[in-house]
Amino acid sequence: MKIRNYWNLRDFGANLWENASRPKRVAIALISIGFVALLPFMGASFLATPIASYDAVLVYPVGMFVLMSLGLNIVVGKSGMLDLGYVAFFAIGAYTMAILGTTTKLNTWEVMPIGIALSMIAGVLLGIPTLRLRGDYLAIVTLGFGEIVRLVLLNSSWSKGPNGIANVPMPPNIGPLKFELENQKVFFWVVMAMILLTIWMIRRLTVRRPGRAWEAIRQDEDAAELMGVHTLKYKIWSFTLGAAVGGAAGVLYASKNLYIAPEMFTLNVSILILACVVFGGIGNIWGVVIGATILGYLPDRIRFISDARLLVFGLVLVIVMNFRPDGLLPRKKREKAIVKREANA
Amino acid sequence: MASTRKTLLKLDNVTMKFGGVTALNGVNLEVKEGEILALIGPNGAGKTTVFNVITGVYKQTSGIVDFDGISLGNQKRYQVTALGVARTFQNIRLWGDMTALENVITATDVHKKSGLVGALFGFPRARREETENRERAMEILRFIGIDEYSDRLAKNLPYGVQRRLEIARALGTGPKLVLLDEPAAGFNPAEKVELAATIKRVRDAGYTVLLIEHDMSLIMGISDRVVVLDFGTKIADDIPSVVQKDPRVIEAYLGVPADAS
Ligand SMILES: Nc1ncnc2c1ncn2[C@@H]1O[C@H](COP(=O)(O)OP(=O)(O)OP(=O)(O)O)[C@@H](O)[C@H]1O
Ligand SMILES: [Mg+2]
Repeated sequence: MKIRNYWNLRDFGANLWENASRPKRVAIALISIGFVALLPFMGASFLATPIASYDAVLVYPVGMFVLMSLGLNIVVGKSGMLDLGYVAFFAIGAYTMAILGTTTKLNTWEVMPIGIALSMIAGVLLGIPTLRLRGDYLAIVTLGFGEIVRLVLLNSSWSKGPNGIANVPMPPNIGPLKFELENQKVFFWVVMAMILLTIWMIRRLTVRRPGRAWEAIRQDEDAAELMGVHTLKYKIWSFTLGAAVGGAAGVLYASKNLYIAPEMFTLNVSILILACVVFGGIGNIWGVVIGATILGYLPDRIRFISDARLLVFGLVLVIVMNFRPDGLLPRKKREKAIVKREANA
Repeated sequence: MASTRKTLLKLDNVTMKFGGVTALNGVNLEVKEGEILALIGPNGAGKTTVFNVITGVYKQTSGIVDFDGISLGNQKRYQVTALGVARTFQNIRLWGDMTALENVITATDVHKKSGLVGALFGFPRARREETENRERAMEILRFIGIDEYSDRLAKNLPYGVQRRLEIARALGTGPKLVLLDEPAAGFNPAEKVELAATIKRVRDAGYTVLLIEHDMSLIMGISDRVVVLDFGTKIADDIPSVVQKDPRVIEAYLGVPADAS
């Protein structure tokens, strides 16, 4: 119980936000964004990652994990569908960038919408036949989909099979902001912008009709359908939006890594991203952000203990999930009326 | 008189089999616009199955379900709701992690046009519909008399309020016909009286009501007609005072021939 009280960041944050006036909210948002944007400059502090370059770690895994976790959270957290093949959309985005980037003159920003569109199409094509399934069945089919995409990439000539695709171009500079391998601050800001866009999208949808439909589907799909929710349509939307975010992350990843190969898109990635979502707090945007940040950052922060780091990583996961089974910042709707009444009392 | 009213729902020779179990056996049923029709019968008689067939949860083995001139047989569940049939559940099935108001708003969405893109970019129609839905849902909560609970999570509501919220949510879909499956289950006599008044108000507001209920006094007080099911077969269909005296009905309920008692 004590742990819960100390750790009740969620209610603390929610109270702060709810009781703030509009200008105050803008201020809170801007200060938070500013703080995160300055993170790459703090490499000399205790945050530093030994061995790995600090600002590179912030881009991948941290930023990418946050982005993908937010995307997966739309599917798993918001509408309650267990997707174990999320890496497929990441792979589709990455290969779109790699192939178009090496064979055409299109740059990263021009490939981005194409990569997103292809991921979404894949999402719809997979979704229409499979989203009638529920629970474990859906999990198994999506798991299969993830593996199929990887195996196709591994065995096709257009994807250069196991050799992968090298010499993927970096994004063109945005005005004075230069994309460089030794200094990845600009990459980080781009990931951050994509994360913010995703959060904006989820928040918009959550408070309106699509969010209600997802919530109803997650809690009782039959009841939802009997109350007039076109469940299949909203499930496909959820799946497709998740795919779009994964695809966008993939395009940027290929363009940052400059080289991609099928081995980067294994089931492990899907599981790890799912772990980020569950660890942070399934269904809660801020929980997912924090969870993905920690799980992305921790292994690199403790890299100096080399082999033992995975053990520590696993231990942290187990211990935290034991004390906080719903994640660091669990989803829980607060009752506005009660909160207000208590505040007045 | 009731007989001159338009027929809203018609079950024509509907049979529903689950493997070897015949839950409904050639049931004919008519619900007239603006009436409260009670559907009664012993446990396992097939009452809930009637609702499940109407709302598309099950596809009938044979027979026709016609609502307002449209055959419901080929409609998806959400389409049946959109056509104007809404129901409650015998075992409460609210969305527990939503507030009472959100439960009803979600139901009001069914007749709205704006979709995901509109919601994302805040198109005027999407915003207008959000406001309309919220106001409509609040109106319904007030109508059912549970508006003071609007911001409470459904799962934290007292049992009686949850039952009423089920009705409110059904009304949220803007139905012509409301199917209530034992809305007074677990109520004490005082609560039942109150609920009977609510159901009457629902009817007087222009909704047609098909009501499953075990409590005879509640039924006799408010229903225009009573249909009795026993082992999936309709054994009576008349005004309450006649049904009450029907020997077959008494037998079905007491399990012995009426004259033997
Ligand atoms: N999905 C199903 N599969 C198999 N049998 C079913 C199914 N649904 C209902 N039945 C059977 O159909 C019969 C009628 O059930 P139904 O639920 O309609 O009864 P009811 O009149 O609503 O009873 P109660 O008053 O207990 O709610 C029962 O024998 C039941 O076991
Ligand atoms: Mg029943």
